[in-house]
Order: sequence, then structure tokens, then C-alpha cells
Amino acid sequence: MSEKDPEATVQMPAGRSDEPVFSEDGVDLTLIRWMLSLTPTERLEVLQEHIWSIMRLRGEDTET
Amino acid sequence: MAKTPKPNFIATLQTLVRHNVDFIIVGGVAAAIQGATISTFDLDLVHSRNPENITRLLEALDELEAHYRIPGAESLKPTRSHLESEGHQLLMTRFGQLDLLGIIGSGTGYAELLPDSIEENVAGIKLRILKLAAVIRTKEQTGHDKDKATLALLRRTLEERNKSRK
Repeated sequence: MSEKDPEATVQMPAGRSDEPVFSEDGVDLTLIRWMLSLTPTERLEVLQEHIWSIMRLRGEDTET
Repeated sequence: MAKTPKPNFIATLQTLVRHNVDFIIVGGVAAAIQGATISTFDLDLVHSRNPENITRLLEALDELEAHYRIPGAESLKPTRSHLESEGHQLLMTRFGQLDLLGIIGSGTGYAELLPDSIEENVAGIKLRILKLAAVIRTKEQTGHDKDKATLALLRRTLEERNKSRK
């Protein structure tokens, strides 16, 4: 898997105006709906890239 | 400071599948594949503990250069007896952290989890993944604070999945 362009923008799916943005317990439902719009492979890639970003922010020296 | 292996879940999973290891993806990675916006650094798997599967798993772990990540035990490699046990083997591999779990939740192993799993095609490989409802149930049973913290997110993800399928 290759790293994607970090400058690339995320395409959020258009939501319906009658859909709540947050659940009653404060969960951001728009992010969940965006994740669900992706394929399982894309979801795993999102997780992978997220943790790589965290490691870069932490300044961790990683083997590639 | 020692370099940390760059986590690569897909490379780890590809290696295990190439060695025909029977396992179920559980925990945060299973939840993420099913749409949860969750972050985790380790790959949690429940493996079949039958002798033939342990043999295949040991071969895969050798290729992954797996060793324990417990401080002071980094030179230890998992053995057959470790993998046959119900315990949790917390490993580091050349592709990042890998947790091999004999049982999870209230004592559930591979065979009991199979009916609660689904097969998904991820990155061109067929993977067996614990259903989101079962991931939630397991975290409820475990009762750890870190698991409780993710429950609201997982429950809302399950609701949204169910809505989008109607």
C-alpha cells in the first residue's frame, strides 16, 4: 500500500438535512457516515494512514 | 533510540493468509473495517489453536520476525505452547504490533466466535472478521475502561450501518 497525498481533500458524502449530526451521547455521526461510504479496504487504509500520521506528529523514528 | 517498525496491517494479514493461518480479526481493526472511526496501533487476532494451524502460524510468525514486546522479554519468540494456551501473546513484528489472543471476552475462542464472524474481501484477500455486534459484546464483557470508552462510538456505528442497509 502506498501513502496517499497528505494534501488530498476528503470527499464527505452529502448528508440529508433531516439527519442529526451528533448522537445524543455526543458521537459525530457525519464521520461514521463517511467511513461507511468507503469500502472495507479503504477503511483499513484510513486507519493505517491515521496511525502513520500520529507517529509522524510524535516524531517517532520508523523503519519503512 | 531504536526504530519502531512502521505498522502495516495489510502486510501482516497478507503474510498470515499466505501461510493459510485460520484466524478472526477482532478489536479495533475489526471495528474500523466495519466503519467505526476508531484508532488503534495493534492488530488483535483470535487464532485457531488446533495443532496444524499452530504449525502454520509459527511459520508465519517466523517470517514476520515476531517476538514479545514486553520490556525485558524482547528476545523471546512465541512457541507452540504459548500459542496453544488461552493467553494473550503481545508481539512486535517487522510490520508492527500483533496481539494473538487465545480467548477473548468471557472466555470465547476461535470456534465459538466463528458463527459471529463474517468474511470480507480486504485489499484483495479474504479475511474473517468479528461482526461489529460481537465486538461490542466482547468489549462489554471485558469491562476495561479503555473498552468502555469506545462503546458509544461502536454502538452508533452499528446503528448507522443498520440504517444504511434498510
